[in-house]
Amino acid sequence: MFNLLILCALFINAYSLETVNKQIVNKNIERSIDLSSQLVKISATLTVENTGKESASNILILLEPKTKSNVSYISVKNSLKEELKLTEVEVQDHKSKQFYKVELSQSLQGGRTIVLTLEIVLTKSLIPYPSSISQKDRQLVRYFGSHYFYSPYNTLKQKTTVNLGSRNIESYTKLKPVSQLESTIVYGQYANVQPFSIDPMVIHYENNSPFLTVTSLKRLIEISHWGSIAIEENIDILHSGAKLKGPFSRYDYQRDVGSSHHSVKSYKTVLPAAAHSIYYRDSNGNISTSQVRVRKDWIELELRPRFPLFGGWRTSYTLGYSVPSYQYLFKTDKNQYLLHMRLLDHIFDDMQVDLLETKIVLPVGVSNVQLTTPYEVERLPDSLTYKYLDKKGRLVISLRKTNLVEHHIQDFEVVYEWPSSLLFHEPISLTFALYVLFLVIIIYVRLDFSLHEAKSEHVKTQ
Amino acid sequence: MSASVKKQQLSFQIPSAVKVKNVEKQETLLTLSILTLAAILSFATRLFSVLRFESVIHEFDPYFNYRTTKYLVENGFYSFHNWFDDRAWYPLGRIIGGTIYPGLMVTSSVIYHLCWLLNITIDIRNVCVFLAPLFSSFTTIITYLLTKELYTPGAGLVAAAMVAIVPGYISRSVAGSYDNEGIAIFCMLLTYFMWIKAVKTGTIFWGTLAALAYFYMVSSWGGYVFLINLIPLHVLVLMITGRFSHRIYIAYSTLYCVGTILSMQISFVGFQPVQSSEHMLALGVFGLCQIHAFVDYLRSKLTQDEFNTLFTALAYSFGIALAIFLGLLTFSGKISPWTGRFYSLLDPSYAKNHIPIIASVSEHQPTSWSSFYFDLQILVSLFPAGLYFCFANLTDANIFLILYGITSIYFAGVMVRLMLVLAPVMCMLGGIAISHLLSKFMKNVDNSKPAEQGKKKAKLESNHVLKSEIATFFVGLVAVLLISYTFHCTWVTSEAYSSPSIVLSARSHDGGRIIFDDFREAYNWLKMNTPEDARIMSWWDYGYQITAMANRTILVDNNTWNNTHISRVGQAMASTEEKAYEIMRELDVDYVLVIFGGLTGYSSDDINKFLWMVRIGGSTDRGAHIKEWDYYSSTGEFRIDKEGSPTLLNCLMYKMCYYRFGNVYSEGGKPPGYDRVRGAEIGNKDFELDVLEEAYTTEHWLVRIYKVKDLPNRGM
Repeated sequence: MFNLLILCALFINAYSLETVNKQIVNKNIERSIDLSSQLVKISATLTVENTGKESASNILILLEPKTKSNVSYISVKNSLKEELKLTEVEVQDHKSKQFYKVELSQSLQGGRTIVLTLEIVLTKSLIPYPSSISQKDRQLVRYFGSHYFYSPYNTLKQKTTVNLGSRNIESYTKLKPVSQLESTIVYGQYANVQPFSIDPMVIHYENNSPFLTVTSLKRLIEISHWGSIAIEENIDILHSGAKLKGPFSRYDYQRDVGSSHHSVKSYKTVLPAAAHSIYYRDSNGNISTSQVRVRKDWIELELRPRFPLFGGWRTSYTLGYSVPSYQYLFKTDKNQYLLHMRLLDHIFDDMQVDLLETKIVLPVGVSNVQLTTPYEVERLPDSLTYKYLDKKGRLVISLRKTNLVEHHIQDFEVVYEWPSSLLFHEPISLTFALYVLFLVIIIYVRLDFSLHEAKSEHVKTQ
Repeated sequence: MSASVKKQQLSFQIPSAVKVKNVEKQETLLTLSILTLAAILSFATRLFSVLRFESVIHEFDPYFNYRTTKYLVENGFYSFHNWFDDRAWYPLGRIIGGTIYPGLMVTSSVIYHLCWLLNITIDIRNVCVFLAPLFSSFTTIITYLLTKELYTPGAGLVAAAMVAIVPGYISRSVAGSYDNEGIAIFCMLLTYFMWIKAVKTGTIFWGTLAALAYFYMVSSWGGYVFLINLIPLHVLVLMITGRFSHRIYIAYSTLYCVGTILSMQISFVGFQPVQSSEHMLALGVFGLCQIHAFVDYLRSKLTQDEFNTLFTALAYSFGIALAIFLGLLTFSGKISPWTGRFYSLLDPSYAKNHIPIIASVSEHQPTSWSSFYFDLQILVSLFPAGLYFCFANLTDANIFLILYGITSIYFAGVMVRLMLVLAPVMCMLGGIAISHLLSKFMKNVDNSKPAEQGKKKAKLESNHVLKSEIATFFVGLVAVLLISYTFHCTWVTSEAYSSPSIVLSARSHDGGRIIFDDFREAYNWLKMNTPEDARIMSWWDYGYQITAMANRTILVDNNTWNNTHISRVGQAMASTEEKAYEIMRELDVDYVLVIFGGLTGYSSDDINKFLWMVRIGGSTDRGAHIKEWDYYSSTGEFRIDKEGSPTLLNCLMYKMCYYRFGNVYSEGGKPPGYDRVRGAEIGNKDFELDVLEEAYTTEHWLVRIYKVKDLPNRGM
């Protein structure tokens, strides 16, 4: 489905292929690559100059080859920190390459410069090498990139800082000038780099940060107009680092108390400050190893899976809680409500989520439902569900998206109409049902249905 | 009655009628509220474990029932009925539909579907967890009805209140103990109630209802055998005492015919009701009934002399023919020989001597005296009193109660788990005793009014000087007894019967609670991190839990139907590594799971069960080389330290339990490798495993899982 969307986007753009504006030059690029977690976080400050005379309304951003499927998040901001609109485009003569078109808020006049901030988050781009290790080994990973910033424009000067988060570096490619200080490698400055030039960069280093992938996250949001919203998350987690080879020894594990180990003992989930009735369980019942700490603005939940996670091991659990509805549900008009909630919420720091499915269960009897999402998501067909003596079903909105990171923790909005008289629908029908039941019993007790006359028992006693 | 009272009655006729009605209404109100309270109490008192831990299934067997219920709910009755389970008894498998009593699963699935019909979205696990408390509420009500039929409504109320909290019954019906017994006791009492009704009325209607209740009982528990022997015994005793009548004839004939046909619909029961010897009493009594009725008919038509001649001739020829017939059937194998479990009922030492697998189960052990008091408290002493009152006022129905009481107290003495059958009758007899005594003495507590009314009477009774005081004292005594009963029951329930056994808890030094959740940790690890079709070898105790919680294939489980297979696993555990490897290759084992309590002091672990593995392993031909005496030290003790026998110190089970344990400091002031259960330092410390590798060990070392290594590559 996602591919189909891309295809559609390609078709739309097919008859209006973009061209590379040769007048645009990257005056200076400061790039930093953060490899200290399981994610690759690239941020670059681009100083772009229009050397021509015609003003340019957009510029192009180019992705490094074969990273398309790994790109989870990409954004470009101008110097006012405003987010600029990005669209995928195809460029003449470079059809195999992945371009994004950045629409500038003000077109760039000839001779002017502009400063843009580019942010890209890549998932699954740190490859464990060796791919399987024993319990005592350190986890080594390799990063494959380019020494040069990959750009369709000529670059006058550029510099790249790579932060590894660890001093143990096995090897790294050395394109001079290069310097290394503790856990940081600085490449550059490189001057006058031609468009589309690439020089492979490989860094092989130790990374013991948790390599956890949420393979599937099913988030269920259930709205009750009685005052609370229930949220339940079904989470499947895989340790996607180097696989454990050979035995797991509890003795060694208990002696090796060091915190920087490639296995994952616990992690922290951040919940909204108003969350209550928190539960943490799996298919076999409650998982007793969790701790709730109330911070000032949030609730910190330290979750310990039933067993430490080593490379290749999986676990799955259900985390649920309730929040009061007044913080998320607003009355905009008579009978019209606005729900304002997160499409995805925090699971652990530097998380990566392969597949997110969010379901929003609206109250019984809603109409005119409008959904606004912060970014493009696939909307699955609506369904109905029945709960707590419902006669009419509740509308369920289902949304799906793949490959998400923390940057996707953003709010969606649902506007719907709902007559508040429906609030008392179920209590009244329940009362009525009980009333009828008692009435039937009263009638049954008072009336005699037997065919022959019953002998009065009191006669005997008197 | 004195004349003045009569006058009063005549003059105020209408008000007195109103009064009678009011009293009646009050009585109904009182009865209803006492029963409701008792029913709620019986539900609430079983919730300790849910409140203390969580809504979780307990023990071992309930996990199997839970798994099958889930299957039934998800796949419908027909696929459940035809279910061939390939997750258990690898490589044999098990036909689930034909080897279980489906009543429990059907009951909870009906409740589940009813709730969903009303869109009450209840989880099937919660239905299973709360089913036993729900049915014990029903039991409370049915106890009232039954005792009311047998004695008086007052006795019924006392019995209902007592059965609500009797520990002997609670032990099998706390929330989460999702087992057949949970609903079977209700079914049994329901059948008795219907039976008593049938005996009293002599109608086909009640007889048929009794048969339906019996069918429900058969569908839910193997203990129905007790019931189908008790009712014929009742009829037989009625015949002997000359109380046989048309009512009994109709009641029993209806119950037996309809009940037997219905019970044969349960595929696990099949043709047993007409073939196995356990059911022969019922069949025999049915025949006797016909003969008795026929004889009665003849007697009414013939003269005494003619009748005597005919009777002797017929009796002899019938007797001889029957004996020959039965003998032939037994020898030709049509009537199955007495099964082992039944023998152990009649002769407590039978199982111990002959079938190690039956003897190894703790609930099959004979009951100790203390556990009678523990489970029944004052009921033990009220039981004879109740029996006395029943004998004092013999009726057809009372005889049933007496028989039920005497037989069940015998069976409860033979086997611990049958305490369950005894508990309700104890409550009924106790209820009768208390109600009888109280109603006697209560009359005299307040005797000031009669004294004022009739002075003559007071003079006559003046020789009972302290009548009121004695009565008050006695009533107070009974109240104290009942209160102590309540406290005892609550204490026993809370302390002894409310731990889920799947989660263990202990007190730490600073008073906090430590939870050992290692079982679920291990099962969850298996579920998440082993291949879907992995085969796991463990001792049979953990079979049900592994299939239910880890969803993996296991070799043997708690349905101990194949002795040879279990014996093979026992042999693997008791052999040396090389020998065990051969067995494990033969059985396609991928992982081995053992329970080890040496670090935490959990005493029911595999080392303590090990002698049973040895015994069961050595009980078949292929394990003849495994001898129990090889595992004892030279002084004849079972020791795991240096003095222990070398056979034990080198067997697979020992090595799996103590692998790398030799370096662990388990208790302060003790050498490393100190086993806290056995209280000794282990004898074999530094060894490596050749054919296994440690796959997972839980946080407190309670469960250890090993992976069976593949055969080495050629040339390595």
